[in-house]
Formats: sequence, C-alpha cells, structure tokens
Amino acid sequence: MASAVQEPAAPAAPPEPKRSKASATEESGVWYPKWYWPSFASPATIWLAIFFILPLYVVLSVAFGTSDPIFGAPLPVYEPWYWSTSSLTHVLGRFFGAAAFWQPALLRTFVFVFLASLLCLLIGFPVAYYVARYGGKHKGIYLLLLVAPFWISYLMRIFAWQSLLTSDGFVNYVLRILHIAPTPIDWLSGKPITVILSLVYGYIPYLILPVYAGIDRMNVSLLEAGRDLGASPWQTFRRVTLPQSKQAILAGLVIVSLPMFGDYYTNDLMGSPKTSMFGNLIDKTITQQGQGPRAGSLVLILMVILLIPMAYYLRSTRRAAEGIG
Amino acid sequence: MPSPNERRFSRRQFLGRAAGAAVAVPTLSAILAACAKPGQLPPGVTQLLPARQDRPVTLPLYGREPIATDAPLEEGSTLQVYNWDSYLYKHTLKEFTAKYGVNIEYTTFNNMEEGIQKISTGQIKPDVFFTDIDKINKLVMAKLLQPLNHDLIPNLVKNVWPVYQNPFYDQHWRYTVPYVTWTTGVGYRRDHIDDDEVAAKGYDILWDPQYKGKVSIYDDYRTALGMALLKNGIYDLNTGSDANLKLAADDLVRLLDATNARVSINASYSAFPADEIWLSQAWSGDMVGDQYYLPKGVPTSVLGYWYPKQRNGEVNNDTMVIPTSAQHPVAAHTFINFMLDKKYAFENFADWVGYQPPQNSINPSELIADGVVPKTIPEAVVRQDDFKKGHLLLELNRDTDQLWFDAWDQVTSGG
Repeated sequence: MASAVQEPAAPAAPPEPKRSKASATEESGVWYPKWYWPSFASPATIWLAIFFILPLYVVLSVAFGTSDPIFGAPLPVYEPWYWSTSSLTHVLGRFFGAAAFWQPALLRTFVFVFLASLLCLLIGFPVAYYVARYGGKHKGIYLLLLVAPFWISYLMRIFAWQSLLTSDGFVNYVLRILHIAPTPIDWLSGKPITVILSLVYGYIPYLILPVYAGIDRMNVSLLEAGRDLGASPWQTFRRVTLPQSKQAILAGLVIVSLPMFGDYYTNDLMGSPKTSMFGNLIDKTITQQGQGPRAGSLVLILMVILLIPMAYYLRSTRRAAEGIG
Repeated sequence: MPSPNERRFSRRQFLGRAAGAAVAVPTLSAILAACAKPGQLPPGVTQLLPARQDRPVTLPLYGREPIATDAPLEEGSTLQVYNWDSYLYKHTLKEFTAKYGVNIEYTTFNNMEEGIQKISTGQIKPDVFFTDIDKINKLVMAKLLQPLNHDLIPNLVKNVWPVYQNPFYDQHWRYTVPYVTWTTGVGYRRDHIDDDEVAAKGYDILWDPQYKGKVSIYDDYRTALGMALLKNGIYDLNTGSDANLKLAADDLVRLLDATNARVSINASYSAFPADEIWLSQAWSGDMVGDQYYLPKGVPTSVLGYWYPKQRNGEVNNDTMVIPTSAQHPVAAHTFINFMLDKKYAFENFADWVGYQPPQNSINPSELIADGVVPKTIPEAVVRQDDFKKGHLLLELNRDTDQLWFDAWDQVTSGG
C-alpha cells in the first residue's frame, strides 16, 4: 500500500514552518493548504490503524493480560495500568532461562528459514532470470505455469505430498527401483530435510515473481555495455545483473522468509515434534486453555525478530532509492 | 529501479507520517473500555474442588430448577445437537425424528475447548452438548448448563450401569447423563506383531526401537502423559507432582527418540487401519470402530488391542448435557432419554460409533460372540468393573494443569 502512495514532485519539507506557504508557492506555483499532501496518506493511515495498530494493541493486551478463571480463555486487559509482564518473562525463560526447552525450536526456526530462503533463491533466481530474459513470446505461459500451483489449495498440495512421501509411497518406490534407497525412507517422521524442502515448495513462487519483475525491468543496454567493455559473462552477471536485481532479490527474500518464520502448518503436516518451529510453539500454546497470555508474548517476540530483516530491507530500499545503495 | 533523481515518497517517510497520524487517534483504552478488573469468578460463584472418586462433587444449582415435567414437547422444531464429528449414528438421529417429529441439526466441534468456547460466547446455542467429565465443574460454574428433570429421563434408572446412578463427578446426576465409555490401551497390528510379544511388553512396546516409524501416540497432553505415568507404575493420573510429571515427560521424549512416533489424535483410526502405523496408543472405541476403517479385503483379525490384564489402566466416560441456552429443552430431555434406550444406544454403538454405552443390557461376552467387537480385541470391551480398577483422567486445578501442560510442552517442542 505504501508504494501506491506516490507524491510526484512533492516539495521537500520546508525549512521553516512559517514560510511553508511561500515556499510551496515558489516551487510549484500553486498554493496548497498545509494538510493537503499529508492527507494523501489518510486512507493508508486509517487502514494501518484499523488493521494493524488496533490488532497489535489487542495482542499486547492479551500478552500482558490474564485468562478467564473458569475456562482459561485469554482475557485481554486493555488498561495498561493492569498489565503484567509475568507471561512474557516466563516465555523468555523458556528460550534463555534454566529450563530453556523452547530454545532448540527457536534456533531450528532460524536455520530452517535461512536454508529454505537460500534454496528458494538458488532455485528461483535462475527460473526468474530465464523467464525474464529468454521467455520471449512464451513469457505469459511461463508466468501462468508459475502461478498455476496457486489454483490448488496449499493444504491439498501438502496432502498430496504426504501420500507421495509415505513409506510405501511413490517417492520411495522410485528410489527403490533406481537402487538409490533399497529400504524405504521415513520422510514424514520429523526429517529436517522434508520440512525445509516443503517450505521451499510452498513459498518459492512468492520469490520468483518479484525477482522476475525486477529482472524484467532491468535495462538490457547496461548488460550490453558491460559486455562491450570487455567483461566476461560471469563478470557482467556479477557486476551488472546482480547489483541491478539486488532490490528484487531482497524483496523476494523478505516476502518468503517473513511468513516462513510464523509457518506452523508445514511442519504440522510434514514434520513431527522433533522439527517444531516457532509457529508451532505459538500454535500449541494458543490452543491450550489458560495459555493465551503466553501465546501473545510469543507473538510479540516473533514480531521483534521479524523487525530485523524488515528494517534491513527498508534501509536497503531507501538507500537504493537515494542512489547510494 | 527508480533513478536517483526521481523523487519518491519513500517507504520510510510514509511510515513515519502514518505513524504520526496514528498516534493522534484517541487512546484505545478509552475506546475499548473494559469492565472491572478482569480475571475474577462471576458473583455468587465459588471455586468447586475438582471431583475425585473419593471426593464426590454435588454441583450447585444456583437457585435454578429443572424444566417442568408437563412442559409440551417442541414438535416440528429443530433440535441442535453439538458433538464430535462421527460420534453419533445418522440413522439413529433419523429414527428420533421419525419417532418424535423433532428434526435434528448436528453440529460438530474439533476439540472440547472449541466446543465450550462457542457455547460460552453464544456463537452456538445447542440443545444437547457432549462433554468430558473433567469439564463439568467448569461448565456449571460458568452457569452454562441447566439442571436435568429426572422424570423426563426414566431410562437412566432403568438401563444404565449402577455406577452412573450417582456418579462421583455429579452426585444425584443433577446435570449429566453418561454417553459412552472407553479404556486407553495399545492398538497393534496382528499381521505384524504377535499377541504374546505385546502381552509380555505391555506399554513398553511403544518404546521399542524395532518398530521405528510405526508408532503413534495421542496428541493430547493428559492422555499421552497419563500413559507414561502408568508405564512407570504411577497410578495417580491427576498427580500434581513435578517429579512424576518430569519422569513421564522424559519417558515420552525417549519414546519419540526411539521410535519417531507420530503424535496424532487420529492415527489410531486412520494411519493404523491403513497399515502405516502398527502400534498405536488407542482408545478402545477407536479400535472397535476400526473394523469399518480397514481397507476392503483386510480381515478384522489384523486388529489387536492390549489393556493391562489387571484392568488397572486408564478408563473414562463422557456425558450428555443440556446447556442453559437450549431453545428446546423438552426435546433435549427426550433426546437424551432416547439415547439411553437400550435399542438405540446399542445400535449407535454397534453400527457406527464403536464406543460402548454403559448399558446393563450389553453383555461383554455376547458382544464378541455376535461379532460386534472383533474376536481378536476382546480387551476393548469395557466392563463396569473397569471403573473400580481403572484410573481416570480428571479435572486438575489451575496450577497442576499448568504443570501437566509444561511437561507436555517439553515433549512436543523437539529439544
């Protein structure tokens, strides 16, 4: 939504508020009231307030709130003066304290998300590159094929994989007749590789599409210039293509890695408790009676974790936009 | 990429302005003015002690009376039944409609928490609700249940096991009647594992690494930890001992490590009959029901069910209740009485549910002779005596429940 709000030739913030009227007039020749440009942000602001700030406040109220004395349903406390941080402290203790049995799940989440995002990039970038540069008149079809998996619900596709991967499933059958694995491999019994590949499988289209868009927009004459100036194909790729597509890659990585951090159903369906991730901690905590405040605290912690890649992304796009990236 | 000269309204600038505007919105605590300090019991309600076999509970009526005996049946109305999926035979429901002229709408919940939550928020106003006995105190304290009129449910006295004429969890059955019973044991595939081996090993067979990848346990903290306690000779299934729970949790972690067990609530009636799982922690009712889930051509003799010989395993029952919000209370009483009728109770059990109602007329040996329960799983028949020898998972107070949850949390966090 943010990118939709553009301000062509917006005047720079006036140095002195008192003279803003004059300076605005000087620059554009038209006088706008002070609220004019900021008002353009109001639809997005209202959206943000209703669908982000308000729910966030409720999450805070749950995390610092209590639970119903009878059924243990989460009972948000909206008055900050009644807030209690005991749940948050407890949850932090699970990660870093003496009984830190959630710590492995936290570390596992980082490793899984890192590897899955990396794989997404390694597989997705060439695909996007090929479609953008060499797709030619078939570009539309390729894109259609890339989006095609979305026509089937993610859940259905994962169920299909479940039956493909069972011990007497098709994958083990193929591995056996090819003499790669004579005894069936128990793919679904909490193997990290299964969960990581499932994450890649589920999220890779979200990486390919923005990267494709980025490469497609790239100025081909820059590549030609690179080659003209004597760079090898590899050098051109490294010095021209890659820097040019950096923003698209970052956007793609952010788009895939943020939801992966909170993903729980992939592991639920393809893994076991041994491959528990952060999302699974939230899921099982929130469905347990009386654990609402702890689940809220987990959500807050995840948000803080996610702020790090997001901040990096924002900083990087800003620098790119200002031409110093 | 925008060129450096292009002046754009950057994302950061945008966020900054938007945030500034958001602060100007009136304080949310004013909008969302909550009631008094939350987290207290409703007025006039005191905390009920969890029921135990040696500490029966008489549930308070809070000044309410059951409906009148001569109230007319709501004919032509639609009775709302709120229950687990596949936990009532559709044909039996149709027979009720044919007999009493009351239609039935069958709504399902996925777990007890969801069921209770939807009733307490008024999202669903069922006439009949099916609930576990460890939830009854809470439902009564929240005033979500109405007292029953015994005159409208004569079948309880007539047909049901004596133990339920005055159950410890609801003395004088003020609010509940029993629905079905079960034991929790080990289901095994007799086409892969010998009866003798299971008999010799008991619970331990679930920990046996030679069945790696073929084991499942229930994804339910009480049921799973309860079994680990029993395996270790701890028979207090409502223990508040940190040491005992830690022992059970550590043992379950060992089970997961040794066998890569699947932790699933439905493996015992899906992966098990499909032969993906050979050893499954199992409720007796799931085992009896599995004869209908076996693929075509697979004989019921592949089913095996182990329960301790001394019958000192886990046993339980659930109940039918009428919520306060019931719109058709007379039909609800009629329906409960109908479900306690020996013919319909038996049909519902034998033809569909697989969970055994506590009916006097049901004779354990006949069940096997008649093929209602496959010959190879005689232990899956629940006997009245089991409730004396067996151990029940009952309500825990808040702190103890927290201990159980923490122990389970440790098992399922994949250390």
